[in-house]
Amino acid sequence: MSIAIHDLVKTYGAFTAVDGVSLDVQPGEIHGFLGPNGAGKTTTLRMIAGLLKPTSGRIEVNGHDLAKDPESAKASLGFIPDRPYIYEKLTAGEFLRFHGGLFGLNGSSGNPIGNRVREMLDLFELSRWENELVESFSHGMKQRLVMSAAFLHRPHAVVVDEPMVGLDPRGARLIKDVFRKMSERGVAILMSTHTLEVAEEMCSRISIILKGRIIARGTVDELKALAGGEADVELTSVFLKLTGGSALQEIDEIV
Amino acid sequence: MTSQAFPYLLLPSLWASRNRARRRQRGDLTRGLLFGGVGLLVGASLFQGAYWLTAQLESYEDLGDYLLRLGLSWLFLSFLSFLAFSGVVTALSTFFLSEDLRVLVAAPVPVRRLFHARFLRTVAQASWMVVIFLAPVLMGIGRARCAGIAFYATAVLTTIPFAVIPVAAGTLATLALVNTFPARRARDILMLMGLLFAASLVILLRFIRPEQLLKVESLPDLTDFFATLQSPITPMLPSFWAGESLFASLRGGGDLLHVAALWTTALAAVVLVRMANERWYFTGYSRAQESPKARFTRLRQLEFVVGLLPLSTVRRQLLIKDLKIFLRDVSQWSQLLLLMALVLVYLYNFRVLDLERIPYMTAVVKNLYAFVNLAMAGFVMATVAVRFVFPAVSAEGAAFWIIRTSPVSLRDFLWSKFWTGLVPVLALTEVLTIVGNEFLGVDPFVKSMAALAIIFMSFALVGLAIGLGARYPRFDADPTQVAGSYGGVAFMIQAVLFVIVMIVLLGWPASIYLFQRARRFPLTAPQQMLMAGCFASAAAISIATWLISMRSGVRALHQMGD
Repeated sequence: MSIAIHDLVKTYGAFTAVDGVSLDVQPGEIHGFLGPNGAGKTTTLRMIAGLLKPTSGRIEVNGHDLAKDPESAKASLGFIPDRPYIYEKLTAGEFLRFHGGLFGLNGSSGNPIGNRVREMLDLFELSRWENELVESFSHGMKQRLVMSAAFLHRPHAVVVDEPMVGLDPRGARLIKDVFRKMSERGVAILMSTHTLEVAEEMCSRISIILKGRIIARGTVDELKALAGGEADVELTSVFLKLTGGSALQEIDEIV
Repeated sequence: MTSQAFPYLLLPSLWASRNRARRRQRGDLTRGLLFGGVGLLVGASLFQGAYWLTAQLESYEDLGDYLLRLGLSWLFLSFLSFLAFSGVVTALSTFFLSEDLRVLVAAPVPVRRLFHARFLRTVAQASWMVVIFLAPVLMGIGRARCAGIAFYATAVLTTIPFAVIPVAAGTLATLALVNTFPARRARDILMLMGLLFAASLVILLRFIRPEQLLKVESLPDLTDFFATLQSPITPMLPSFWAGESLFASLRGGGDLLHVAALWTTALAAVVLVRMANERWYFTGYSRAQESPKARFTRLRQLEFVVGLLPLSTVRRQLLIKDLKIFLRDVSQWSQLLLLMALVLVYLYNFRVLDLERIPYMTAVVKNLYAFVNLAMAGFVMATVAVRFVFPAVSAEGAAFWIIRTSPVSLRDFLWSKFWTGLVPVLALTEVLTIVGNEFLGVDPFVKSMAALAIIFMSFALVGLAIGLGARYPRFDADPTQVAGSYGGVAFMIQAVLFVIVMIVLLGWPASIYLFQRARRFPLTAPQQMLMAGCFASAAAISIATWLISMRSGVRALHQMGD
């Protein structure tokens, strides 16, 4: 199992943001993580990335317990946050070399970071920006640079929070292709997204979280069946039905 | 088009301040007491100083009056330049770089209304420090001269237009700058210019050697000295008008001409800037949004040099990253210029110290000065540490997730920050101590002890700064704000206490040793034990401060994800 979480709980005082979530992502699987705003998606992903400490529960990445052996777990994980904050005063190339260094990649002949950096910049169409400061990048370029960093050290698993935000259609297409290629090579990807078409198109399985609890899990067809819909119904309708989106019907009245 | 008057546009910042004041957080009371106490202490000292000086001058009759008048004029002149510079920097932020401008410029708000709101905010932000400083000083002067209510009323009436005029000039300069350079580049240029100006001012003031004034033999030259302070353009400046108005009301009279000059100039300045703003604001704002390719230094040699150091890959990359970010940020490295100027002045002071004039006592005084030098080096160390080392963790900013999601232990990360901070702080303070003691010609024993003490103190203070910096990070603030935050002030208080304890623990045994040597008596066994005990305690306190601070810093970083 590349990513496995067991009974994960996160509370803030009396508020329970994540309430007993269990999840596993197999090697080569792209697992969609859907839910309305404030459902607990980002909190869960941030716990898997090692940014938040769970109140209880266990997280394993590539067989390493995140609480007991955080360095080994993080070494096999790539994390792509929803907002791409990077060191603004470094160039794209410098940032990737720095990031590689954190994961133990160096410039020696046995571990040629320079070539890998160029590969990633090529892959994410950032080569011509290698020597430009990050501060002059657009949001989409920063997002692609963060993705280059996440895949730089050849992780076994990748956690992605809202990958499509701020990307133009070409960028979005590129990211989808990269994720597919990576999953074909055995990388497990756990991806939260609000773009349901992306989830429908790319994910082999989807988990839907509501108020901190997983309320449904399965393939797209299984979820459609669970919501009592036909096979040709859109995932958006299924999502709204499962997460209680009937309030949207009032929009017409308000407008 | 919105119908609200311009104060409506100030509501968001007022509401934000109100919400900040309402929000209750852990440590609010301590913070309030700490900052309030320090503020009251500074205010009381300024009041007492101004009161004492004015009272002293009163006994010199005409010369005293003349000096007071000159002093007021110079006080306002120095504020004038500060306000103009502060106005330029603040206007750059309030008119062109502030995030909320996107909302306001996109809204149907007339440029004139936006100008009024922003200008008021600029004046308030640029001048509050001057007003806070001026208030106790003027109150001290007024109290010493038993001034009536008219003096305080005049003080308010002169301070307002006096603050408006240079800030208006600064705003106009910013408008011109932004229309010439991209706003972010203009900010760098301004920052550099301001610091070069401050550094040269410090050096210049020191090299005039004002201490000459205190020498009795130089008194005949006093009138010449004051003559140089007056220049033909001084009466044309608002600082002169403000000084004259206040001096007149201090003597029970009134100077309506100068008060009127201040108000009419202030109003004319506002009208002029408003007109210029209506004409060029949008062009400037639009340019400020453009992000051309940033110019920067590649610093390739840095990578080569750091590559030669025996460091692990992670530490090497962290060091390269920290150095590059620091050296590419003009607002950061340019402060080193001011530091260099202060160091030069510091060493120059020891160079010109004429201790040979005190017969018989020279050796004692020299060694006493060696401890003053050590204490000063300790305070320099604390100041440098609070400005450059304490913000080290906060400097990661919103990008800290990169470190926290990487397979680098937070302990390694914090220790890397420690070593990066230690080397320059240790080098700087060792140079200050060794060169200062060399200039003084102190005893070799004291010289070696001071050099060794600096090593221990550097480890302790850099450790304390890093540890507290990790416990009280401010990821959303720039390093200057971080240094002035609650944690920064807490660090300064602990650092000063530490330096005092160290000076006592080192100075006492050293004085016993020097005293015995001067009398050519050998040290007795109890004296030797006392000396060893003091030195060992100093070393133990340093090591404990260093290690305990680092450990608590690492713990705080781990708790960040809770």
